[in-house]
Amino acid sequence: MPQASLKRLTWIFLRVGNLTFGGGDPTMAALQSELVLKRRWLDVEQYALIYGLARITPGTNLVAFSAAAAWQILGWPAAVLAVLAMTVPPSAVVVMLTSGYQSWNSNPLAMAAIGGSIAAASGMMATSAWQLLAPEIRPGRWLRAGVIFVASLVASLVYSMSPIAVLGLAALVGFLWQAAE
Amino acid sequence: MNLILLYLLLLKATATSFSGLTSMPVVYHDFVETRHVLTDRQLNAAVTAGRTAPGPNGLYVVSVGYFIAGVPGACAGCLAVITPAFLIIPMLRYLGARAAQPAVRSAIRCVMLAASGLVVSATVPLARDALTSPLAVGIAVASFLFLVFTKKDTVWVVLGSAAAGLAGKLL
Repeated sequence: MPQASLKRLTWIFLRVGNLTFGGGDPTMAALQSELVLKRRWLDVEQYALIYGLARITPGTNLVAFSAAAAWQILGWPAAVLAVLAMTVPPSAVVVMLTSGYQSWNSNPLAMAAIGGSIAAASGMMATSAWQLLAPEIRPGRWLRAGVIFVASLVASLVYSMSPIAVLGLAALVGFLWQAAE
Repeated sequence: MNLILLYLLLLKATATSFSGLTSMPVVYHDFVETRHVLTDRQLNAAVTAGRTAPGPNGLYVVSVGYFIAGVPGACAGCLAVITPAFLIIPMLRYLGARAAQPAVRSAIRCVMLAASGLVVSATVPLARDALTSPLAVGIAVASFLFLVFTKKDTVWVVLGSAAAGLAGKLL
């Protein structure tokens, strides 16, 4: 199997990051296949630790995962290149899509299509919330999950509490109220 | 809006979230509610653009930056997505063992639960702006069910909902 090099490693992040749709989990699964199974540049324990830490690192899980995996293999230069490979080209695509939205603003047919996509955004956001909530709805944990979900929704929607305060309070509750593993 | 302020506000949103769209409540609060430099519709469009492109879901922040300040704003958004990621390296070096402690894991789980409530809270005003017809409501519900039950790629939802919107206009 080939030795790790900055060029090879950056190419993997560029290829996987820009050809995998669906966000963090599918992309991290593809990187697991490339870095752990095919090339063995990371072992399973390293991958598991990085995956777990990426979940608790502020920001986007996938970008943190890329930084840590590349750093573990080839140090800081690799971490920087991996993060750039993972974010800059898709950001250009995002800008083009946003620019398209602004350009097509006066075309009724384009706006009908965009309106359909924008309606879907509500469904996507609800899915995102569900994916965070669903793993905690199980015996021993559902009560805490329900209380925190409803309390944070009410605090934000009814009392306009700032999101950072809500998250800080939730962390405090988590320290004090530990549910079954 | 000043680019440094834009970057710092977007960084505040990304650095206080733990996955792609969970930064949205802070973005909504700062840019839509407080400063009025972004509309509900633009934020909806930003989420759609971010989910349509490959790569991390959190890149909708790039679109937010673009709406507010053009290409320099998009660069500020991209930088705000990148910056917190490097925190993982000192964590990997020094905190790896502690991440498994029950109290820390419990706190993280509760933050994720609160984030889900915050995402729903941020979705309500955006849905109020976007879901103005039975067709739009149908598209939103169908998108939710499709993504939850099929695990298929988001790009199919975006393409399908665009086709449904177009068909609704033509028929």
